Amino acid sequence: MRRYETTFVLRPSLSEEEINSVIERTTTILTGSDGKIIELDRWGMKKLAYLIKKESQGFYVFSDYCSTPEAVAEMERRFRLDDAVLRYMTIKLNNDISEEEIAEATAQAEQKKAAAAVEAESTDDDTDSSTELNEDDDTDDDLSADDSDRSE
Amino acid sequence: MAQRPQKKLFSRKKVCRFCADKELGIDYKDVKTLRNFVSERGKIIPRRIVGTCATHQRQLCEAIKRARHIALLPYSGSIQS
Repeated sequence: MRRYETTFVLRPSLSEEEINSVIERTTTILTGSDGKIIELDRWGMKKLAYLIKKESQGFYVFSDYCSTPEAVAEMERRFRLDDAVLRYMTIKLNNDISEEEIAEATAQAEQKKAAAAVEAESTDDDTDSSTELNEDDDTDDDLSADDSDRSE
Repeated sequence: MAQRPQKKLFSRKKVCRFCADKELGIDYKDVKTLRNFVSERGKIIPRRIVGTCATHQRQLCEAIKRARHIALLPYSGSIQS
């Protein structure tokens, strides 16, 4: 059993049900041959850094699991056929993983999730997008300052 | 002949940020950290400028390329667009 992690990007136009069905299908493939899902995280809608198939947004899903190479190949084959999947990337984390390690990793992932949920509740307004916008403003200011120096 | 501009005598010693801060891991999912090592154009900033050590620069390159593949970072172009 090898440990992998896969991130895939789905089309933004999909409905909740369609997203669920894609995730369901992949998890059944992965768990088919004794595989186990350690963590499944929906990052949700994100802006893509560049256009993929003329889409500027995507629904990101991240999964951490252990499975066999055959199951992974099958999953990737499905992804290539499926029009809903814009992009996928699988990374092998470990060549061999034991049962205890799986349990440990799963517990860790759950802990992380719980911590994140608590954090989300405590901070309501502090979103990532606002801070990024601020950074952009800073760079603009710097550029304009440089220009004024040159003109003098 | 015009005199060459003198080299800056007091250039600060660059330290690898990942060696200095052991807690800071390199991960392709952590876009916020990776952004620091990418130019506005989206290019990977060379080691001689950011001062990361060889081992970490290699890991960093790999992480940036992975992030680019799943469209978390741009291959080219400004960050704003």
